[in-house]
Amino acid sequence: MAATLSNNEKPAPVRQREGHSPWHYLRESVLWVLLVGIALIEIAPLTWMFSTSLRDPKNSFDLPPDFWPTAFHWQNYLTVITSPDIQFLLFFWNSLKIALIVTAAQLLTCSMAGFAFGRLQFRGRDFLFGLFLASLMVPATVTLIPSFILIKEMELINTHWALILPSITSAFGVFLLRQHFKSLPEELINAAKIDGATYFRTYWQILLPLTGPALSALGIFTFLGSWNNFVGPLLFLRDWDLYTFPIAIATLRGYMGSGNQSEVLAGIMISIFPILVFFLFAQRWIVQGASITGMKG
Amino acid sequence: MATADLSVPKGWRRYIPIADWGIAGREALAGYLFMAPALAGLIGFTALPIIASLVLIFLNYDLLTPPTWASGSNIGRLFGDPRLLIVYRNTVQLVAGATFLNNVLGLLLAVGLNRSMPWILRYLLRTSIFFPVLTTTASLAVVWRFLLTQDRGVVNFLLGQIGIDPVPWLSSSRWALLSATIYDVWKSCGFLMVIYLAGLQGIPTVYYEAARIDGAGRLQQFRNVTLPLISPTAFFAIVISLIGAFQIFDNVWVLTSGGPGDASRTITMYIYEKAFRGFEMGYASAVSFTLFTVLITLTLLQFWVARRWVHYE
Repeated sequence: MAATLSNNEKPAPVRQREGHSPWHYLRESVLWVLLVGIALIEIAPLTWMFSTSLRDPKNSFDLPPDFWPTAFHWQNYLTVITSPDIQFLLFFWNSLKIALIVTAAQLLTCSMAGFAFGRLQFRGRDFLFGLFLASLMVPATVTLIPSFILIKEMELINTHWALILPSITSAFGVFLLRQHFKSLPEELINAAKIDGATYFRTYWQILLPLTGPALSALGIFTFLGSWNNFVGPLLFLRDWDLYTFPIAIATLRGYMGSGNQSEVLAGIMISIFPILVFFLFAQRWIVQGASITGMKG
Repeated sequence: MATADLSVPKGWRRYIPIADWGIAGREALAGYLFMAPALAGLIGFTALPIIASLVLIFLNYDLLTPPTWASGSNIGRLFGDPRLLIVYRNTVQLVAGATFLNNVLGLLLAVGLNRSMPWILRYLLRTSIFFPVLTTTASLAVVWRFLLTQDRGVVNFLLGQIGIDPVPWLSSSRWALLSATIYDVWKSCGFLMVIYLAGLQGIPTVYYEAARIDGAGRLQQFRNVTLPLISPTAFFAIVISLIGAFQIFDNVWVLTSGGPGDASRTITMYIYEKAFRGFEMGYASAVSFTLFTVLITLTLLQFWVARRWVHYE
């Protein structure tokens, strides 16, 4: 794009003129202070949580606060994990199991429907796709009560199915993947047709591998949504041993009272640790995914 | 694809796709099968619930005894419910504050991050600002509850260092809603930043070069190039952050439990309370339908207003 500009126009003198303006320095410094200041505010509660989770429980409320670990009381983590009252590994497993099933189910159902809506001709297609689009406008709060009654009638209250079934598909995922299937080159599908590939094969072996960025974006955000889901477990789960992380931690705070800040924070650290590790390794895809899902929504 | 329709039979049979109708029929069959699971989910957990909640408005149902006909009494109750007014006022305050701050900060941070700087610095800044987005709302609200405690809380300690008296962040009706707003902005402005960043990076650099050649300064470039070209992104970002903010639940649930009194109770918490504490499914459905109406109206209104300020290339 830049090449379309004439090479004779050198931007250098313009830049120099900007450099001389005192307003320029003022604006720059305001922007930098804002950027660095907010980054610090965003990260400080997390480093505080980590440092405090490593304090001796006796000193957990002591001031001044630490934003960098000063004590290394790893015992807190062990206490939380091995405590017979709070089965932390069980919560971990519950959260992970539900999130994995929901993610796998959504990737499959949404990509299949995306393929159908984006690549196949059938009667009523545009009408049905319109229904999916319209349902994007429906807030989850509105369907909460009837969904609860439905789950209750199916006798799935207090089972993990109550969290999995309503999430096996998402209108947003269908929309996202339909856009991606639609954007793939027509030649690929024609070539597959000429070679006599079945529709399933065209979908599974030829097109699906090409929707990688959209699939990973949907997968990441579905997983996070499930991992962080709070209302669902609050509504549907009764038994302590079925609890997922967020609901267990919210309950844990009340259960442990205010005397054990370090251990509660250690519990929260454990629950966000997998996400932290995942984020540090897959940051590019996550940020890209956020912008893909953001832009196309 | 125009030729495909020739093989579709005439009469009622064309409504039932069977394989022996040739390519078009088989393609249609494949289409129905491929979208069947998603459609089942849509019907079961979105379409039917919406219809059911429309019916529920006219019933009295407590989950235990069979529902009885309530005619219009649940709708009538809406107009005489003083708490409904309070929770809507809270919700509007929270939504307005959070949407405004999230979008302004998100855009400013994106502009700041979009300039040239060492990659390690960009990485650190982006990671720090974005990471809270990925954490669990309920769990981090627990952390913020500790931070905002009045007596031994970290925030009040730091404020004390610069001579500000302790603020009753969570226990005073003046501050509770503001605390929830602050927490939401802390949690989600990174998401808006990423969305705006993607929008900024989609602006071709030739526009800036052209503006520079015409002698436009940084601020003029921002106003006359960045803002118009980012407006589709901004429109989308405002719509989704508004819809999200209207449904804030776990944030206030953990931070203040809606208190003190009803001072920070939001509309979703009120619906939850009516439905699952009071077991008034009919009235709770009526309340949730007011939320639905508000959201649809706001979204359509934004689409209408957007015609005046959103520029598509």
